[in-house]
Amino acid sequence: MCCCLCPQEPAMKVPVSVIRLPRGPDGTSRGFDPNSPRYQALSPVSISTAGCGNEASLEREQQGRVALRERYLRSLFAMVGRTIHFTMYERVNVSAFFDASDIDILNFQVSDLQTPLGVHREALLRCSDIISYTFEL
Amino acid sequence: MRPSRASLSPSPPARSLFPPHAPRFPAALRLPGAAAAAAMAMRQTPLTCSGHTRPVVDLAFSDITPYGYFLISACKDGKPMLRQGDTGDWIGTFLGHKGAVWGATLNRDATKAATAAADFTAKVWDAVSGDELITLAHKHIVKSVNFTEDSNYLLTGGQDKLLRIYDLSKPEAEPQVVSGHTSGIKKALWSSDDKQILSADDKTLRLWDRNTMTEVKAINVAMSVSSMEYVPEGEILVVTYGRTIAFHSAETLEQIKSFEAPATVNSASLHPEKEFIVAGGEDFKLYKYDYNTGEELESYKGHFGPIHCVRFSPDGELYASGSEDGTLRLWQTTVGKTYGLWKCVVPEEEGGELAKARVSLPGTAEEELEDLTSENSDSIYSSTPEVKA
Repeated sequence: MCCCLCPQEPAMKVPVSVIRLPRGPDGTSRGFDPNSPRYQALSPVSISTAGCGNEASLEREQQGRVALRERYLRSLFAMVGRTIHFTMYERVNVSAFFDASDIDILNFQVSDLQTPLGVHREALLRCSDIISYTFEL
Repeated sequence: MRPSRASLSPSPPARSLFPPHAPRFPAALRLPGAAAAAAMAMRQTPLTCSGHTRPVVDLAFSDITPYGYFLISACKDGKPMLRQGDTGDWIGTFLGHKGAVWGATLNRDATKAATAAADFTAKVWDAVSGDELITLAHKHIVKSVNFTEDSNYLLTGGQDKLLRIYDLSKPEAEPQVVSGHTSGIKKALWSSDDKQILSADDKTLRLWDRNTMTEVKAINVAMSVSSMEYVPEGEILVVTYGRTIAFHSAETLEQIKSFEAPATVNSASLHPEKEFIVAGGEDFKLYKYDYNTGEELESYKGHFGPIHCVRFSPDGELYASGSEDGTLRLWQTTVGKTYGLWKCVVPEEEGGELAKARVSLPGTAEEELEDLTSENSDSIYSSTPEVKA
């Protein structure tokens, strides 16, 4: 005897069920999963690490990338505490002591930044503003 | 953060007629889909897409592609995001802008994205890999970007009061420039099969001929235009200003009709089948109106800040809203219908069965699709508590 469906009682409104919540950013990368079907189908294969090239060349390419990445990260370690000369956009050339980089290499933390306007004790340089930098070992 | 995979409610045994948390329906009323939704009074459950850290000021859907449809959101944090349109799942973030992103758009098949930002640039992106393809320098804040149907040209407009047309096959070449606006351009759109341009600034709506680059028509608007949407089928322009949602002919700019909302409206969108309008604005609420009669059908609270943009999906099954509170929310057009992540609860169905909203992915077997759905069958909101007769 259950006629629990009473359209005359709007107070019985039931929230629509949801199977899960939308997935948010994973916090570790900018996304665009190279393993997704869309990426595999639409993306050019030339420099893709998940492309459908043969196994051996893929392996070699990945090893090359690993070696280059490791070298770069070690170069960042070598820079700590040294004076770095930065060439930046708008004909800006500055130098500073390098302290650290953030995990995505988007910002460099530097100290004693020498600029035409004076010396900044602590500063953050936006990496997208930097064209090149040099330092001596 | 991914929700944990453990179910939040005990999963019912296979094929039981009366799962513990579902209402007991008399046999005659076990109706699937929209009919069941109508039979039970259902309350809208919006899906909140988080990830942005500042207000969401613009959003756009792509057309329906073989991989579903997509949504791009422009945010003042400078990091526009691409999401799967029917679920709101984050796909990627376009990194590179150095200022607030005021406008974002996708080309028809969602292979390219374009963004307009306060760093005086518009950028074109590969929407599959997330890579930045082209940066187009402007002389002031860029507010609006729009691709032609063939994705070959990009229209931009912004605070420098100029419309610019870039040939994307020759990005270094100077763009064609159209002048005439006397205040900052808020929105610029291609219309009439890309033969004309519609643009809005603080005080006027203008129609331009693309070939001659001259103004065809201009009308004054009572108050500052807050949004503009072009609907090709029927050549309708949806414009909002003050509390008014107005519909104009895209060919003549004559007003067809208008509605007044209870509060200042920042954005409105017309359903693809022209049955409904959704609008949102300064009172944090979303309103749904019958397009033909202007009757207010539904209204929803949920956002914690003014709503800046609302858009219907290309299939009309949902609409997305972006707000000052930094979130995007997805709302069902037909509340209670099984679509995307929403699931109509009927006794025979259990977690794991999902009506696919989009064409099945090429090369994906049915079994793989089942695996995808079963992995996600967490019941976040439990079904109705049992009601005694």
